[in-house]
Amino acid sequence: MSTQEARERLELLQGTLDLLILRTLIFGSQHGQGIARAIQQSSDEELLVEHGALYPALQRLEERGWISAKWGTSSNNRKARFYSLTAAGRKQLVKETTKWKRFATAIGRILGHEAEG
Amino acid sequence: MFRRKRKMSDFSAEIEAHMKLESEHLHEQGLSEQEARAASRRAFGNVMQAEERFYESSGWVWWDQLCQDVRFGLRMLAKNPGFTSIAVLTLALGIGANTTIFSVIEAVLLRPLSYNNADQLVSVASTWDRNGVTTPYSSSPPDFFDWRDQNRSFSSMFAYHMSARALTGRGDAKRLHIVVTTAGMFSTLQAYPIIGREFVAAENRKGADHLAVLSYGFWQAEFGGLRDAIGKTIELDSEPYTIIGVMPHDFRFPVQGSDIYVPIGFDDKVMTQRGAHYLRVLGRLKPEVSVAQANEDLRAIMSELRRLYPDKDGKWGLQGELWSRVLVGDVRPALLVLLGAVGLVALIACANVSNLLLARATARQRELAMRRALGAGRLRLVRQVLTEGLLLAIFAGAASLLLAHWALLAIVRFGPKDIPRLASVGLDTTVLVFSLGVSVASALLLALLPALRSSGTSVSGLLRMSGSSSLNAGRARSALLVTEVAISMTLLAGAGLLVRSFVGLRSLSPGFDPKDVLTLDVSVPDAHYKNSLALESYWDQALAKLRTLPGVTSVDAVTPLPLSGDDFSSSFRIESRNIPDKDEPSAELRWATPNCFQTLGIRLRQGRTFTDADRLGGLRVLLISETAARMFFPKGDAIGQKLHFGASGGYERNEGEIVGIVGDVRHFGLDAPIAPTFYVPLSQAGMDNATFVVRAQGSPAALGQSARKLIQEIDRDALVGEPLLFETLLANSLGQRRFYMLLLGAFAVLALVLTAVGLYGVISYSVAQRTQEIGIRVAMGAGRWQILSMVLNNGLRLALVGAAAGQVMALMLNRALKGLLVGVSTTDPSTLLVTATVLLMVAIVACYAPAWHATRMDPSVALRFE
Repeated sequence: MSTQEARERLELLQGTLDLLILRTLIFGSQHGQGIARAIQQSSDEELLVEHGALYPALQRLEERGWISAKWGTSSNNRKARFYSLTAAGRKQLVKETTKWKRFATAIGRILGHEAEG
Repeated sequence: MFRRKRKMSDFSAEIEAHMKLESEHLHEQGLSEQEARAASRRAFGNVMQAEERFYESSGWVWWDQLCQDVRFGLRMLAKNPGFTSIAVLTLALGIGANTTIFSVIEAVLLRPLSYNNADQLVSVASTWDRNGVTTPYSSSPPDFFDWRDQNRSFSSMFAYHMSARALTGRGDAKRLHIVVTTAGMFSTLQAYPIIGREFVAAENRKGADHLAVLSYGFWQAEFGGLRDAIGKTIELDSEPYTIIGVMPHDFRFPVQGSDIYVPIGFDDKVMTQRGAHYLRVLGRLKPEVSVAQANEDLRAIMSELRRLYPDKDGKWGLQGELWSRVLVGDVRPALLVLLGAVGLVALIACANVSNLLLARATARQRELAMRRALGAGRLRLVRQVLTEGLLLAIFAGAASLLLAHWALLAIVRFGPKDIPRLASVGLDTTVLVFSLGVSVASALLLALLPALRSSGTSVSGLLRMSGSSSLNAGRARSALLVTEVAISMTLLAGAGLLVRSFVGLRSLSPGFDPKDVLTLDVSVPDAHYKNSLALESYWDQALAKLRTLPGVTSVDAVTPLPLSGDDFSSSFRIESRNIPDKDEPSAELRWATPNCFQTLGIRLRQGRTFTDADRLGGLRVLLISETAARMFFPKGDAIGQKLHFGASGGYERNEGEIVGIVGDVRHFGLDAPIAPTFYVPLSQAGMDNATFVVRAQGSPAALGQSARKLIQEIDRDALVGEPLLFETLLANSLGQRRFYMLLLGAFAVLALVLTAVGLYGVISYSVAQRTQEIGIRVAMGAGRWQILSMVLNNGLRLALVGAAAGQVMALMLNRALKGLLVGVSTTDPSTLLVTATVLLMVAIVACYAPAWHATRMDPSVALRFE
């Protein structure tokens, strides 16, 4: 039961997670755990990101050349792999953001109408 | 494919770092260290799953799996050395045969000629239509000039003829291959001297023509590659030629190369020699002009010439054909047949190995089922089988190169010398790529059935090891075997037809007796002999000297010598008949000494042969062959007729009275039609060339060198050819046929052996599988004979079905042999019958061993067999 829920959520989040990662990285390079935390915090803990699902997404984004990765040292002196946005990633972020906003508006309109009717 | 080289360990390190960061974060938030660690793990989810997903997305999976498959495949092959070596050897034979024949085809047919844009070079030839067959012929100088000047398709064109001349004045005379050519050769072939100059059109004139352009090889050999050779003179047939240039070292013309290029010296009367066909013409097409377009152009020119010169050109046609095609005209179909044959051999080899793999797959069914049960996908299993096939094929491919290397050495050494560029054959890159291609194709082919079977098996059925699937395997193997037998039948029948044709040709009489006869070709420089009388006394002197050799029973001379490849034909007029010039018949012309007919064993049919009295100044006499008598004097009134002959062009005409009829001689070889022939006394013709025929007891070959010496003593500048046994010439005339027959025969035997091995394997296997059944039969009282015939039946049924299918296949495919057969039809029933018999006998032998083994089985052991 619980695994089925997780799977559903993952599929739902497929595109969204990529967008959120790119968005997070706009403030500078960050490691995986940092990204997870940042998404959780900035969504007021509404979104629960399964940390394990983050890494395949990072992997995918890196392959597409939207982010790049480098080993570095965290603020509390731990070695971690830091991701940063590439120029292509920046363009992608703009594109995805616009798309997502149009999508959200459209869905919102439909749901709004239904609510009224 | 290699998208990223990030290692798994790097990914694991990242996840570990994540865990530490997360638990530290949670710890700071107030959780205990232990709680923090557990919480971070919870938040992360399944670590192993993340790692697996990383691994699968990384693009290295296929590589890892390939390595696994290869390692596993190698282990399997190493574990069954018997299976591996038989499979590799079988495939190596199949692939090696292909590599060998393809090497030959590559060297002879495919490799472009070594001229710039060789695909623009077109051979332009006069053609002679007879009985609907168009035969290309040499061309005459005036025709050549008209074609060259009137065409709009060629950027340049030249005419040449080949000649053998003696290099004199530098010790013993040496035979040189000379190309006598118009100046257009250089621009047409786009090849120019590296030092000195080429000759120009103005030098194609009698008096200005004693110039020589040397080949690089001749320059190196005779002048040590020194530049001051330019301007020096060399003597050809005792006449001086000034050296004006040297060609590049990679220049060969014609394809086999020649020593010297000299200008044709046309005289003032050249434009009257429209009937003198002795030139070959090559042209270079303008860019963008096709051979077909050029032919249209040429046909228009020729029809105009026919209208202008009806008596000389009236019967001639004109045709252009790619030179590269012309060079291999008669070789091409034979080589393509051989390529088809080796393709079939490779199919048999693949079928055999496929059979072995199927047998093994049946034995490995439990293993495969286990792998399926443990989660291996179908594709994964198919890939494993394919990998094994590929490994076998790669090993076989490597081994085949060695086999092909040996085969090619033998072909170059023993193959016929008249296949152009055969000597240049070798395992070059093109051949290696082809060989690799054949190997991979074989791998796919042989792994096809086993792969289909391995993927189609159901887990539950296999683990239970039900009998039905092995029955299917049996069917697949039977089908493969029937195919093998059918292919073998086709190849055997093809080889059989070639053998029959060859044996038939060998048994033909050449019309003379070549046994114990030595031939020795001699040319004397014209410049040494003022007139016909001087030449006559030279031949008399030479004949007398040769007769002093020990063991010699008779010496005579004839020219052109039968089977030598030279010939001379002439049109003629019968005095008693009034026939217009253009309808003059033509016949072959030979010059011979009086006793030549006895020496060579050519029978006198009617009248008399020449006598010593038929000399210069005597009555001009002629002998004609039986065929000539039948063709031209069907009423039997040949003797006493007067003929006028000599080419109707610029050559002077001769005359003679027919005094006798002699037997036919197959001058052009046993496989060529008999041509009507006239004989003229050698002493009445003033010839500067003739071939001595020396009949001797014992071994005439041993006389060769002393005969040469004797001739050279008379005139040092005489050109003396290599002494050759007439029997050798006769054998060489069938050289290509023997070559094709031996190769196709070898492939057919190879196919037969492979098929026999396949048959043996399948029957042995089925006996092993039916051990229990046979045990029961024996226990129930079946006799040895019953068991033997049961097993034999099993194998022979397959062989019979295969042979029947093979008969049909042979009838269809062997049509390709049509051009290679003389006197045998492609559907010759007795050949098919003999072939089928041989095949079935081999099948019986192949099945007998396992059948015999089955009869020896101890029922008590057999029944317990699992």
